[in-house]
Amino acid sequence: MGKAHWHGFFAAAALTLMVPAAHATGFATCDSGPREGWQPQDKLSAMLKEKGWQVRRIKEDGGCYEVYAVDDKGQRTESYFHPRTLAPVPRGAKDHKG
Amino acid sequence: MKVWDRFVRIAHWSLAGCVLAAWITAESKLKSAEALHEWLGYAALAVIALRFGWGWIGPRYARFLQFVAGPARTLAYAKAVLRGNEPRYLGHNPLGGWMIVALLSVAALASLTGWLSVTDRFWGVEWVQDAHEALGDALIALAALHVAGVVYTSWRQRENLAAAMLSGVKRPPEPGDVA
Repeated sequence: MGKAHWHGFFAAAALTLMVPAAHATGFATCDSGPREGWQPQDKLSAMLKEKGWQVRRIKEDGGCYEVYAVDDKGQRTESYFHPRTLAPVPRGAKDHKG
Repeated sequence: MKVWDRFVRIAHWSLAGCVLAAWITAESKLKSAEALHEWLGYAALAVIALRFGWGWIGPRYARFLQFVAGPARTLAYAKAVLRGNEPRYLGHNPLGGWMIVALLSVAALASLTGWLSVTDRFWGVEWVQDAHEALGDALIALAALHVAGVVYTSWRQRENLAAAMLSGVKRPPEPGDVA
């Protein structure tokens, strides 16, 4: 891990202390444009339930939809989807286009 | 003279290490850091559980009954600190004692909510995630206040209290000190 990373950690941690509400874990980011073009969370939820997932929580993170769910195999998952296309976004993706 | 026994010292520094490392790994994007964060929480919980037990069966200065003061005595001590004429305590002073109770309790709750958040039952449950983050933030704020209290009291007493938590040894009590 580089030195710059540590500075980032401490800066993030310091900010976390000052603004307890502003958390962004950010396993991925999406290039998703204005919100008007986004598909509703309910649609993503319905789509995943169709696959046999148990959806626990959907929130926005880094322009993506972040989903906490138990998948069809009974595994806990934290996965990202593109708000425009509802396509899965791989972990670590940056400004994913969907 | 010996004040802090070996168990108290090991528990103190290992919990401090767990909390610091858990704080650093809290917002990481790396899978390995996430796994480490989780194990640090379990380790912290184990240390806290042992420390609570030791607080009843351990030697004199490790015991909660020795250092947890009632409201009247705590307030009197706080007022004395503001006036600048607080007595020296060989063990924890009343404010320090309450800080320990607060740190152990908040660290336990932060660890427990973190544990809950990765169980099948509570996975993705918003209040559990929010509680874990708020408790983590509160814990770091308390730890900072704890360090400030240690630095201030070390300066007031001309005794390095952090070093005393390493060696276990403090200057013997003098007249006017609370042993």
